[in-house]
Amino acid sequence: MADDRPHARGAHRVLAPASAILAALLLAATLIAWSSGGGSLDLPWAPALGLRLHFRLDGLAVLYILLATGVAVAVFAYSARYLPLHLAHGGRPAGESVRFYALLVLFMGAMIGLATAQDLILLFVFWDITAIASYYLIAYDRHEAESRWAALMALLVTGVSAVLLLIGALVLQAEYGTFSLPEILEQVRPGGAVTLAGALIALAAIAKSAQVPFHFWLPRAMTAPTPVSAYLHSAAMVAAGVLLIGRTYPVLESSRLVLDGLVVVGVASMLVGGLLALSRDEIKRLLACSTFSQYGYVVFLYGLGGPLAATAAGLYVLAHGIAKSALFLTAGAVTEATGGRNRLSDLGGLARELPVLAAASGLAAASVAALPLTLGFFADELFFGAALERGAGYALIAVAGAALTFAYLGRFWIVIFLGARQGGEARAPRLLVVPVLALGLAALAGGLVPSPAADLAADAASASVLGPAEASVAYHLDLRAENLMALGAWALGSLLLACAGGLRDPLMKVASIGARLGPERIYGGSLVALNRLSDRIHDFEVRDLRTRVASVLMPAGLLVVIGVLATPSAGAYTVGSIRVRDAGLVLALLVACAGALATTVPRRHLTLALVVATVGYGLTAVYAFIGAPDVALVAVLVETVLAVLLLGVFSLVPADVLRREAELPTRATRRWRDPLVGVVSGGVAFMLAWGALSRPVRGESIAAEHVRLADDAHAKDVVTAILADFRALDTLVEVTVIAVAFLGVSSLLRRGRLL
Amino acid sequence: MTSVLTVAAARLLMAPILVVAAAVLVKGYADVGDGFSAGVIAALGVVLQYLALGREEAERLLALRLIGPAVFVALLGALAVALIPLARGDALLEHAPAPGADVVELGTIELITAVAFDVAIFVLVVAAVVGIVRAIAHVAEGEGEGGQ
Repeated sequence: MADDRPHARGAHRVLAPASAILAALLLAATLIAWSSGGGSLDLPWAPALGLRLHFRLDGLAVLYILLATGVAVAVFAYSARYLPLHLAHGGRPAGESVRFYALLVLFMGAMIGLATAQDLILLFVFWDITAIASYYLIAYDRHEAESRWAALMALLVTGVSAVLLLIGALVLQAEYGTFSLPEILEQVRPGGAVTLAGALIALAAIAKSAQVPFHFWLPRAMTAPTPVSAYLHSAAMVAAGVLLIGRTYPVLESSRLVLDGLVVVGVASMLVGGLLALSRDEIKRLLACSTFSQYGYVVFLYGLGGPLAATAAGLYVLAHGIAKSALFLTAGAVTEATGGRNRLSDLGGLARELPVLAAASGLAAASVAALPLTLGFFADELFFGAALERGAGYALIAVAGAALTFAYLGRFWIVIFLGARQGGEARAPRLLVVPVLALGLAALAGGLVPSPAADLAADAASASVLGPAEASVAYHLDLRAENLMALGAWALGSLLLACAGGLRDPLMKVASIGARLGPERIYGGSLVALNRLSDRIHDFEVRDLRTRVASVLMPAGLLVVIGVLATPSAGAYTVGSIRVRDAGLVLALLVACAGALATTVPRRHLTLALVVATVGYGLTAVYAFIGAPDVALVAVLVETVLAVLLLGVFSLVPADVLRREAELPTRATRRWRDPLVGVVSGGVAFMLAWGALSRPVRGESIAAEHVRLADDAHAKDVVTAILADFRALDTLVEVTVIAVAFLGVSSLLRRGRLL
Repeated sequence: MTSVLTVAAARLLMAPILVVAAAVLVKGYADVGDGFSAGVIAALGVVLQYLALGREEAERLLALRLIGPAVFVALLGALAVALIPLARGDALLEHAPAPGADVVELGTIELITAVAFDVAIFVLVVAAVVGIVRAIAHVAEGEGEGGQ
């Protein structure tokens, strides 16, 4: 077996077990903390802005943490086998697995933070961390253009909508004067601002949960490696959206409009996702469509309102997350076992060769399709109950959604595991099957003993609605409405399943029209348009640098000229006396002046650089004679280093290019225009400096204060004290500029390599 | 191009230049000079080696491999000096010890956080200037090879 496990040597081998153990420990810690009554952590963060690092382990947090860590254990275990195979298929080094585990662990941490955060800005920060981690995880196969495109799409759709969450947070802050969620939720009252905030937050949430019309990013994101899809696109990333709804529920609930919007979005996602899933051929895409359809249920439930619906939403997220991650892992195992087949039309009859996988994924599929003995059954029971509570129309929609789910999952499982045998031998490594089995058994356990999950969902709901919520779930062998609805859904679903073959073609046509005219088209179009706009602006900006610079400098220069001319000149310009001991100073000034005049003469670049340096050295002498040794020291050093760098840059330009440029004849218009501009601007600058120096300094200068304070700063040299202490923030910003400039130079000269 | 005398002088000068830079740095609080000036002096010393000995020899003598990352390590150091007071509840960049408090002195060096800040600026300036010169040298040489 050893040669069967390529690249799984060395330190990388411990990453998967270590990550799985970390996830398991977090899971255990959460359970222990929750059984001992939860807890909270509240630290000051930025008190001036009213921000706190406030975390609390309430029912809602526990539900999502258990999901995020529990599924993570299975996903990490699965990755231990899957990732080496995946990397080997691509001929990539095993070292790339470090990035994979680091990002997944980061993602898990962000989910835990998101689930427990009680401060809106903190929530936003974790929200964005999940988006960034998801970007890198989806683009894990970064050599594939499709992966990069999908990752960018996921990042833009969820990242741009995250700004809406931030705006919503700011609106709430303006209304209630705090970012603290418990404080806001306690005093939330219906009103325009709250409706606005609720709508913005809801938009961010439905984009994250890939709800219609933002659903298109999720099927695209299936280019991610299977464990990433199993984690992010069933239990974590997309769950974050509905988590946000649950966390800020009182804000959303205070507006009928927002709730109705959620119902519309939820129903649309449910049906669109279900119909798309029924027509998909690629198994991961099928599951992706299923995922946003299932989160449509949850959004629909939150839109219905009330504690029962919130409880149903919580249980639904839990049941779906467990089962759907198992199905994604099944998809990966099946593709791996059959040597890369990932389409339903290429698969079939695998149950004989992969009986355990068939059974395990059957349990998971049954749970999503809400068959009895699985956790999903109870989730659907509460779902039907909540829909029925609102009215018959809602109940019908619920039944239709459940029937679609039953149909496409039936198609998924039956085609893969039953049906005609296709292809050669199929063997799945044990480690790809065990995690699926564990998750499938978890779904079964939830169906046999539903009360712990239901209690947890009720706790989560009571954290959402800030009131009591309870769920009593049990098997009732009678003809109550929920049971009848379930039976109706199965019957309708079986009917759909029977005519799935005939339905596929029309559905494909509708789907392709949707893809051509739908929101994905708008996304692509706006991306192209944005790119084009950016190019235009860039072209306009840099086409003629000289003109751009002149267009800034000329008006400014003209204003100065007007200022100098408009100032009354009587007494503004005084001529002092020159003493003998100023001779050195005057001499240095004359050198500087001569150097400045000399810059107009040379035509060769090297000579010009040296002449410019001469001006600088002349001015250094001036500083020295004035009695400013610090300034003189800095000036001479800066002059030297600039001259060296300038010469170095010239050495990069081919010598003949420099020579050709130097020998270009001056255009006739330039011959008189350039000197004129030079003389006028020089004259104005001279008048300005003269005028400024002629006025005596009024009042106390800050310099005296600096000298006085230098002692307190333990400094004997005032200039250094100013640089490192009094104006240290300026210095910090300046050195940051140096570092950024260095980064820019490195990128230009050495393509980003710093060494 | 470079004579034996230039090479010998450049090699001899390196150590004194670094000593001068160190002196300008540590005496910054008592006398003329600061981290920035010291950084430029040290960097000019390295540039002198490049000019006199050529890139290969200079890089063999001076361990410059980590000079690029050093810019950002130094920036982090300066940021740390700036931000640590926040954790203690003081203002940004509030230096310790406080005015009037006793300062440990080692000769002319005073152990205050402002000096640590200055040292970070010193490292950053050296690393940035040397890094740019190094990048120019690499590119110039690479182009020379490409042209052949």
